Amino acid sequence: MAQKPKVDPHVGRLGYLQALVTEFQETESQDAKQQVLANLANFAYDPSNYQYLRQLQVLDLFLDSLSEENETLVKFAIGGLCNLCPDKANKEHILQAGGLSLITNCLSSPDEETVLSAVTTLIYLSSSGAGSHPELTSLPVVQCMLRFSISANTRLRNLAQIFLEDFCSPSLVAEAQSQQAHSALGIPLPKTKLVPQQP
Amino acid sequence: MKELVERFALYGAIEQYNALDEYPAEDFTEVYLIKFVKLQSARVAKKKMDEQSFFGGLLHVCYAPEFETVEETRKKLEERKAYIARATKNKDYYMTKKKLVPEQKGANDSRQDFHPHMPGFCTTSLNTSPENSSPSLPYSCDLPLCYFASQSNFLPGEHMDRASNSCSSGRNHSELSEHCNYSAFSPKVQVNTYKNSLPCSSGQEVITTSESVGRFMPRTTQLQERKRRRNCDHELGMFPETNTGSNEVVIGPKLPGIPTVDLQDDSLNTTANLIRSKLKEVISSVPKAPEGKSEDLHTSHSQKRRRI
Repeated sequence: MAQKPKVDPHVGRLGYLQALVTEFQETESQDAKQQVLANLANFAYDPSNYQYLRQLQVLDLFLDSLSEENETLVKFAIGGLCNLCPDKANKEHILQAGGLSLITNCLSSPDEETVLSAVTTLIYLSSSGAGSHPELTSLPVVQCMLRFSISANTRLRNLAQIFLEDFCSPSLVAEAQSQQAHSALGIPLPKTKLVPQQP
Repeated sequence: MKELVERFALYGAIEQYNALDEYPAEDFTEVYLIKFVKLQSARVAKKKMDEQSFFGGLLHVCYAPEFETVEETRKKLEERKAYIARATKNKDYYMTKKKLVPEQKGANDSRQDFHPHMPGFCTTSLNTSPENSSPSLPYSCDLPLCYFASQSNFLPGEHMDRASNSCSSGRNHSELSEHCNYSAFSPKVQVNTYKNSLPCSSGQEVITTSESVGRFMPRTTQLQERKRRRNCDHELGMFPETNTGSNEVVIGPKLPGIPTVDLQDDSLNTTANLIRSKLKEVISSVPKAPEGKSEDLHTSHSQKRRRI
């Protein structure tokens, strides 16, 4: 990208992000919400925006959007979280805000991209140096990852394997495997979608 | 395929390539997988080559993370973490430096992973804080506003931000799968135009004058601006006298009119009359005084001389 000259680009950037957040909160159009959330998720890829995103509470916005009925909003929200969670400050904020359960819920989404983003987010959250959150490797999560690790979907399989190999002790995996026969308690069943009748 | 690989090799070393015969694709479309040695090469290649024409067809370039190995994915995630750690560390340093020297403008070291689909088209600017009256705001807003106002498909495939979605590999390998469409031009364009109500409706100040330094104002806007000024001036009656009786609007200062020459005017003949009278004088003075002939001759000579 060409260098932006002379001016401090972050002055305009904060204002723009603020405008996006305001639009998201005020608009009633689902389309507009989706567009704005996608934009914010993209901005979340760039570390130079993180201070602004925290300042504007965009992390909380993402977390809140995980509970939306609209699957697309969920997909973009988890995408945004996945983008910014490798950053230490963002990670702490997410964990302190109780985001872990919301992210784990996304593992049962019917949308492929949502699940992939959720697994990746959990991988990043588990990567912290100082003692990781115990909930990250709770039994239901590990069991879910075990199922994913034999999935036909290559990307899902790869990510699940990384999670199991790098962040789960062998004993934990063994325990999860032995209980595999039982239903995965703690992970909500995917919501059933009503299929519209085709004329 | 050879030409294709050669074209892509411009962006970096290619580790391997092969045709994907079973990849689901449209009719008359051939799909190839290209694996770069470096992830960054794949990123640049995708950015540059997507939607480019190639031997009369159109290329569709997308990432192919499904062809990664576990190790490659792992390395990719590690790289992303390392990058953020580096960028955040630099940012902290920058922020500290900024506090010490508030007037110094820092360089933008952010890495933009999205790119505007349309050239800069800033018609508004946002005043973010009251203290900051810098007119350079619109310029700095250029990039995000462009992206925002552009026709973008907001599918997360374009995010290329999630590690799982991004260029498919870890540290050393990157794979691109490519659709080479040899058929007639059949673009797969997903366009979701976003109603551009955001910047104007959020109550931010709008700067439309040309005083903004370094602000790109597209031609149509300038024309409209001139028209607007023209109409304002017209209303104010800046040109009360118009020679033409029509409603023709005059722009700019009135040029001095070309003076019309009255060809019947006697003043045009002043010089000619002078010469004629002088001639008459000379001719009439010659037969009068033969003694003075030499004189006259002299004078005529001298006159002649004068003429010469």
